[in-house]
Amino acid sequence: MGSADTLEHPTEARTWKGNIPVWHRYTAGIAGERFLRTLKDQGKILGARCQSCGVVYVPPRMYCERCLKPLPDGEWKEVGPRGELVSFTRIFLDLDGEPLQSPRWVGLVRLEGASGVLIHYLHLPEGIAPRPGMPVEAVLKPALERRGSILDIEHWKVL
Amino acid sequence: MDQWVYPTTGLHEKDFETGRVLVETWKSKAEYAWDAGIAMGRFLEELRRGRLVGRRCNSCHRVLFPPRMFCEQCFRPTGDWVPLAETGTVITYSLVHVRWDMVRLDQPLVPAVVAIDGASAGMGILHLLGEANPESVKIGLRVQAVWKKPEEREGAITDIRYFKPIS
Repeated sequence: MGSADTLEHPTEARTWKGNIPVWHRYTAGIAGERFLRTLKDQGKILGARCQSCGVVYVPPRMYCERCLKPLPDGEWKEVGPRGELVSFTRIFLDLDGEPLQSPRWVGLVRLEGASGVLIHYLHLPEGIAPRPGMPVEAVLKPALERRGSILDIEHWKVL
Repeated sequence: MDQWVYPTTGLHEKDFETGRVLVETWKSKAEYAWDAGIAMGRFLEELRRGRLVGRRCNSCHRVLFPPRMFCEQCFRPTGDWVPLAETGTVITYSLVHVRWDMVRLDQPLVPAVVAIDGASAGMGILHLLGEANPESVKIGLRVQAVWKKPEEREGAITDIRYFKPIS
C-alpha cells in the first residue's frame, strides 16, 4: 500500500468521533437471585456446600463446578460475616477508566465457612496498613437501603 | 433427551418493573474516535468545501468513489485525486415507512445509492433523496446534490442534505 501522498491541509487529518450506546441488563439467575434476596431481606450471606467434595461456594451455585452434583436447599448455609483478608489492592480508576475522586482499597476475603474468596471494598482506618491474614467483617447497608445487589454489602471492615 | 434439558424460566418486562426479578442495569460508555485516514479525510474535507472527489487506480484506471488509497480489484495504489460532478444517477433505492428507531412515517424516506458522474460505473454513495415524489422515483433517475450552506457544513456526508431529481 503506502502512498506518497501527504496531507495538504491540516484539516484533512480528521477523526470522526462517535458513541455506541450500549445498555446492559443482567439478571443473577436462580441461585444468584436467592443469594441477593437473602442478603437484602435477611442481611445474611449464603453459601452452598457440595456434599460430595465439600467445597462451599459463595455466592452459591445450582450445582458443583467440580463434580457437577446439584447443590440442594439443604446444603445452603450462612457464611461469615467475619472472614480473613487474603489479598488486597488499591484502585485509582473507575470502570470507564476515569480517575476516582479518591483512591479506594479492595480486598479479597475468605469468609468463615466459605471455600473461595469474595471481592469488595476494604475500609481501612487512618494509619492502618492492610496485611494478609487480617481478620475482617462484612458491613451491610441498613435494611431499608438494601436493594438486592452485591453493593448491599458496604465494605469489609478491619476487626 | 429431557434428562439433559434444564427447565428454564422465561422473563418478561413486567418481572423487572414489579421487582419480581432482581436486575442490574447499566450503560457502557463506548465512545470512539475513528481515524478517517488519507482518502476519507480528504473526501470529508472536500465535502466541507462543497465538492465531491474520487481517486484513480494506477493500474486499471477506474475512478473510485468514495476515494480509496488502493484499488480493491488490482490491489495497487491509487494515484490522482479526480474532481467529480455533483450530479448522478439513482442505481437503487428504497421507500422507508418505518425509521431505524421504529417510528412510523407518513411520508416515506427515500434512501438511494447515487452513482456520481465522473466516477467509474456503479461507483456510488448511499444518501437520501429529497424533493422527490416517491411514486416517481425509479432506477436511472437523474439527480443532483443539494448542499447545506457553507457555514453549516462540518466535513460530513450530511453536508449534502439530499439529492433531488434534476428537472
